[in-house]
Amino acid sequence: MAGRFFPAALMARRNLTRTKMRSLLASLGIVIGVVAIASLGMFGVALQYSFTQNLGNVGNQLTVYPNSGENITELTERDIRTIRREASPTATVSPVKTRTEPVSYNREDAVREQIYGVEDPAALYEAKEGRVSPFRSGALVGSNVAEEHDLHPGSQITVNGTSVRIRAVLEEGDPFSSTNPDNRIIMPATSFSQRGYSEVYVIESTGTRANETAMGIRDALNDREERVFVQELGSLVDTIEEQFQIINTVLAGIASISLLVAGISILNVMLMSTVERREEIGVLRAVGYQKRDVLKVMLMEATLLGFLGGIAGVILSVGAGLAINHYAVGDAMAVFRLPNAWYVGAAFTFGVLTAIVSGLYPAWKAASEEPVDALRG
Amino acid sequence: MTVIDAQGLVKRYRTGGQTLYALAGIDFALEAGEFVSIMGPSGSGKTTLLNILGLLDTPTEGTVLLEGQDVTGLGDSKRTALRKRTIGFVFQHFYLLPTLTAVENVEVPLLLDSDPKVTKRARRLLERLGLGDRLDHKPDELSGGQKQRVAIARSLINSPKVVLADEPTGNLDSETGRQILDEFRRIADEDDVAIVAVTHDDLVNEYVDRTVHLVDGTIGRERKNGR
Ligand SMILES: Nc1ncnc2c1ncn2[C@@H]1O[C@H](COP(=O)(O)OP(=O)(O)OP(=O)(O)O)[C@@H](O)[C@H]1O
Ligand SMILES: [Mg+2]
Repeated sequence: MAGRFFPAALMARRNLTRTKMRSLLASLGIVIGVVAIASLGMFGVALQYSFTQNLGNVGNQLTVYPNSGENITELTERDIRTIRREASPTATVSPVKTRTEPVSYNREDAVREQIYGVEDPAALYEAKEGRVSPFRSGALVGSNVAEEHDLHPGSQITVNGTSVRIRAVLEEGDPFSSTNPDNRIIMPATSFSQRGYSEVYVIESTGTRANETAMGIRDALNDREERVFVQELGSLVDTIEEQFQIINTVLAGIASISLLVAGISILNVMLMSTVERREEIGVLRAVGYQKRDVLKVMLMEATLLGFLGGIAGVILSVGAGLAINHYAVGDAMAVFRLPNAWYVGAAFTFGVLTAIVSGLYPAWKAASEEPVDALRG
Repeated sequence: MTVIDAQGLVKRYRTGGQTLYALAGIDFALEAGEFVSIMGPSGSGKTTLLNILGLLDTPTEGTVLLEGQDVTGLGDSKRTALRKRTIGFVFQHFYLLPTLTAVENVEVPLLLDSDPKVTKRARRLLERLGLGDRLDHKPDELSGGQKQRVAIARSLINSPKVVLADEPTGNLDSETGRQILDEFRRIADEDDVAIVAVTHDDLVNEYVDRTVHLVDGTIGRERKNGR
């Protein structure tokens, strides 16, 4: 029998059932607080998760640009050789040339568009329609360009007055990747008259390698002057994830306000109950309960309220998490991931702690009442 | 053997510039197995005296010896521990815990000790007081006399040396009152427990060894019963 081993719990439980409605309402506050913290936390996690999903695999990419701040407008063949040397043997290194040309689609007026010159587009892109390689003439277009102008393999566009045949429409790329081809027109690098390159893409097998390569390139090329600017998407991702962390913390902070309210309602309930039970507590003290014994019984009540509300809150939170993940991530089971467990656990702990802290003052008040005064009636 | 020996008890209250003597110099000794009643008009200091004898309150002046030990200057925690060991209280309004059954109420003083023998002892006490068929009833399912008997059982659970009762028959009809008083008499005679009962009820005086009269915080004439 639980009452045998936890006699304080027995008394506490009986006292709570004495005023069932009131106890229920008091722990309802904790339920709401726990659910608010847990589900806002899980909402943040789901948001972050779906973002990383969209972001795809960009952590292993880096892009080298000439540093226009130092009046360097293009990268030379020597720079490219250095970059190839710094990159690991398995890495894909794609130097890209750019130029701006008047382009007209379907015999409309020409607009000035950026043309990208890529030597081996097959290393970067896959075709949605048509074929990427061999690529000696013609042009590849991204999916947005193709859709906007209704282009397909075999369609013709006019670049700087010359008719160019579309070879392929490219598969969509990661939205945050600098290699993303969706809005681009790509032509063979051999069709470019200038010698220099305007950017170089390096794709490594892992994010760590990408980071090492980035440092190697900086060391090699920025030795005397800042020749290049190396953009690592990995660190960008880190920055964004940090932002999400901040958002999550703020959300959880807002949710804890509801726990504060819950704490006040428990404080109120416990204060009422110490006033109502003043004489009973006086009797306990008279028959030999030490102050700390009374404290124990009262705190046990607060703790029980907290546990009750906390457990109900956890159950409801998992339900809410299933729904959140179903809609935000498209996979309800994603709720059983570690960061969610962390938020639910933290919410539960805060709920119980709030209840106990709120019970401290009433319990202390009850314990420090002189039994003679309490029993005078 | 003298269980309680109180000498020169004074209890002063200072309220709004006035000094009120609830007790104005009282000597009171209590032998083991003695059943004593305290009578006196309202406000004469009966409850105050009982509280001091029961270590619930401390006197402004005077000394209290409990089984020869001076307990006058003890702090709250030590007094509480002594109460638990040696004193049983029966309160005027029973003061049972409404959420607990009769047996659990009797166990209350020792509930936190988690001693498995306490429940058995509580049952035996209740059975002895004729409540064998009401063991698991809550107080609101008991009559006034039954509640009072539960309260008496609770005062005996710790095998006290002294039982202090404030108006134990105050709310009872004379028939039930007699049952309770018989019980006190038996406890005093068989268990050698000293009993002090504050009362307005002349019925009580048929059962006690002596009666102490309090008037304005002092002891009036004392009457020995010819028992
Ligand atoms: N805390 C206190 N502050 C001030 N005066 C008090 C206090 N406690 C008791 N008194 C006073 O002490 C006197 C004795 O009180 P006590 O309760 O002992 O009387 P009593 O004999 O038990 O009366 P009754 O028969 O009405 O219960 C009373 O005049 C009362 O007003
Ligand atoms: Mg009184």
